[in-house]
Amino acid sequence: MKKTRVLVTRVFFVTTITGMRVELRGVTKRFGSFTANNQISLTVEPGQIHCLLGENGAGKSTLMNILFGMLHAEEGEIVIDGQAVRFADSGEAVRRGIGMVHQHFMLVPVFTVAENVVLGFEPTKSLGRVNHRAANDMIHELSSRFGLDVDPDALVENLSVGLQQRVEILKALSHDAELLILDEPTAVLTPQEIESLMAIMRSLASAGKSILFITHKLKEVQAVGDVITVIRHGEVVGSVPATTSEADLATLMVGRDVSFSVTKEVVEAGPAVLSLRDVVIRDDRGISVVNGVSLDVNGGQIMAIAGVQGNGQTELVEAIAGLRHVESGTITLGGRDITNKTPRQILDAGLGHVPEDRQRDGLVLSMSIEDNLVLNTAHFRPFAKGWSRNLPAVSSNAADLVERFDVRTTSITADVGSLSGGNQQKVIVARELSRPLTCFMAAQPTRGLDVGSIEYVHRQIVEQRNQGLGVLIVSSELDEVLSLGDRVAVMFSGQVVGVVDPQVGRETIGLMMAGAKPE
Amino acid sequence: MSVETVEVTKALKQPHGRSRVIAGIIVGLGLFVALVFGLGSSGRAKSQFTFSPVNLSSNAPWHLGALTVNTRGWNVVLGVLIIALGTEVWVRRPRAPMLRFGLSSIIFLFALLFWACRTPGPSQIPFVNLTATLAGSVGIAMVLMYGSLSGVLCERAGVVNIAIEGQFLGGAFFGSMVVSVTNSFLYAALAGALFGALLGWLLAFLAIRYMSDQVIVGVVIVTMMASLSSYLNLQVLTPYPNFNLGNTASTTGIPLLDKIPVLGPVLFNETWFFYLAVALVALVSFGLFKTRWGLRVRAVGEHPKAAESVGINVARTRYRNVIMGGAVAGLGGVAFMATQGQFQPGYTSGLGYVALAALIFGRWKPSGAVVASILFGLSAFLANGLQSYSVPVSSEIIGMFPYIITIAVVAGLIGRVRPPAADGVPFKRS
Repeated sequence: MKKTRVLVTRVFFVTTITGMRVELRGVTKRFGSFTANNQISLTVEPGQIHCLLGENGAGKSTLMNILFGMLHAEEGEIVIDGQAVRFADSGEAVRRGIGMVHQHFMLVPVFTVAENVVLGFEPTKSLGRVNHRAANDMIHELSSRFGLDVDPDALVENLSVGLQQRVEILKALSHDAELLILDEPTAVLTPQEIESLMAIMRSLASAGKSILFITHKLKEVQAVGDVITVIRHGEVVGSVPATTSEADLATLMVGRDVSFSVTKEVVEAGPAVLSLRDVVIRDDRGISVVNGVSLDVNGGQIMAIAGVQGNGQTELVEAIAGLRHVESGTITLGGRDITNKTPRQILDAGLGHVPEDRQRDGLVLSMSIEDNLVLNTAHFRPFAKGWSRNLPAVSSNAADLVERFDVRTTSITADVGSLSGGNQQKVIVARELSRPLTCFMAAQPTRGLDVGSIEYVHRQIVEQRNQGLGVLIVSSELDEVLSLGDRVAVMFSGQVVGVVDPQVGRETIGLMMAGAKPE
Repeated sequence: MSVETVEVTKALKQPHGRSRVIAGIIVGLGLFVALVFGLGSSGRAKSQFTFSPVNLSSNAPWHLGALTVNTRGWNVVLGVLIIALGTEVWVRRPRAPMLRFGLSSIIFLFALLFWACRTPGPSQIPFVNLTATLAGSVGIAMVLMYGSLSGVLCERAGVVNIAIEGQFLGGAFFGSMVVSVTNSFLYAALAGALFGALLGWLLAFLAIRYMSDQVIVGVVIVTMMASLSSYLNLQVLTPYPNFNLGNTASTTGIPLLDKIPVLGPVLFNETWFFYLAVALVALVSFGLFKTRWGLRVRAVGEHPKAAESVGINVARTRYRNVIMGGAVAGLGGVAFMATQGQFQPGYTSGLGYVALAALIFGRWKPSGAVVASILFGLSAFLANGLQSYSVPVSSEIIGMFPYIITIAVVAGLIGRVRPPAADGVPFKRS
């Protein structure tokens, strides 16, 4: 019923507002010998929601950066309303009516909503003063026209990610954007926020704005798209209607059949191996971000922590690994108190840790694969003999692990930074799993990985659990939490809202992610 | 249930641990004052305040007599006052504990002065001249205001300017030469500002064009200016003393206001460098927080990519601000010279770094920089003043006081104050 209403308004607007028709013709972009985009053509009609679907690294972002004037194509052209254009920089793209909502928001956190929206186009009064009243009026006008409610005087850093995204959209609309590019806009949102974003997209489209929606999530393109263009390895592999089935889309996107479900045997959960009691943690600014978390991870069980990013998960993981001070409360691992012990003591006590930012915290990018594989065991036998290193043991260890964990590399002495993201993650997983562990903890284990690597990492995690290890997963991907977790703990605002069975479903967990207590 | 409601957990109070350490240190200072400077002096000892500056007493329309107090009783009161400040930090955990620490340090230094000038006592000078002390402190505070204002201009745009000390030295050197030749402080100020701007451009060029580490470039500029000014001093100023006459700028009283007792000679009978500093603070504060220019500058210092995405030229904004900051610091050097006289090697003795500390203490705000400059100016002047009393502590140790206070204050702020997010981070266009 709702859908009909939207359709009716759209027809009405199309007749009154003329939108913009944007065409990409044969766009090719190379970085050295690597072709990121090869002969890509697509057309976005006025009032259309055009989805660009593809895996990470398929070339979606490159293409959008070309359209937005941030990169320049070697071949091909951009045609707006039948007229070929060239953008020297993104400023020109903005002036031609193209707006972009970046994956990493281009907002100044310490500014107000109004200041962010008008930045660069400020209305002024005498002496060059910013006219805040005019800015607020403009925002109120845009908000009511497109149903984007937000307080112009709020500081952006105090807004939820969903609201910050609204500010980004408002900013683009305030520059009279006719085509909005949304780059992976749902990655940081709760399911409910995604719903409301989609409603906004529909209402923008019915007002005649065109939308280019970039994503790798199949459900979303089906829910909101008019037309779907799938790209793989920098090439268009198909342009299909939104009614195409999920399985067909996945096959197009990945190039082969993909299994979505993780197969898990039933394993009897053992006693708790990692226990948190009333843990309180402060962030770098001294603000308490984990407020009394108690949680048990049992052997043979995957405990998945779900939650929108920034609700204390990052700090919790850091504290368990000994990288952040625990203000109060206790953490025990295998019966031993590890609260505020040093990271080495904690690792040696049997914690395996895959950090959230693997390039910053998990690897030394300029060091070789073999050295990275012994980063936390290099001081032990057999990798050290007294004060000297045992390099042959290090090499044979690396050769063995690279084989077992299927790390794709030409040499174990290559810099780990030269590997792809998926292979870097495999190096970390291999390193952590090659030690005797009591508990395995992984934060965002598959972020930025391609579908193949995701399957692999998931299989490894399930295997550890089958062998009786306690596993703690932190992920902001709800699908991952639901398919991997035996139990799901939802964090909101520094607290565990509840620990539930994943069977309770997306809807319930989504509400919990926004702070609602489970029934 | 509404998804839009956002709960932001904000710590309204400071963490217990750190506040207690700071409170403990403050209480310790207070106990020291009460026990050593108070109870440690004989019950018959007297200390004397005077209010009429020697050079003003002749034409001042007011005359305040000396105030004589009992050293022991007075210093015990001061000690209790400091302990009260410490207790407040312990109990209330205020947001600005370091301001209380700074105040305590100032009271501590005053107590030390009273103790040093007690009669009967060892000192040649049996009084503390309050007006002269404040006036001298304002002189140093003025220089610090120029320095930290320069820092505000640069760092708000995302470039760390550690070269303030070098810009002070350069400004003072050329200012001294120009004023000796032309006998005009206007020309001296222009020359100093121009040279400071040149050094600012050098910093900006290396930091923006070549993305060098800004701290290293800054230190290099300071070292270069220290050596260059010493060399030129030896080669030019020493053989030709006519280039370094040591003129000082005359003061201009503001009618009526300069007649106010104590405050008049301290604030309203100053050189125009002082009035200019106050005007610049107001101007920069207005510019940064009210105008379009300021909004763009702050955006560049906080999130240059966001600024660039709306068409703001990040590099140009940074160049402009760092050059302006350099000019302001150069002006500060001339202002210093205009109150101190003849240029000497190592002239500004690290005031440029104290100005950086004032910048941090003032949370990168022009108004905050004023408060911080007054605090540090007082501590520097009081410690200097102590050297004329016969205090049984070596004058080198006393000379360290202002820097120790500076270090303590800034160390207590680490992790608590937030600099502009992109401060010191080179910007690379994507």
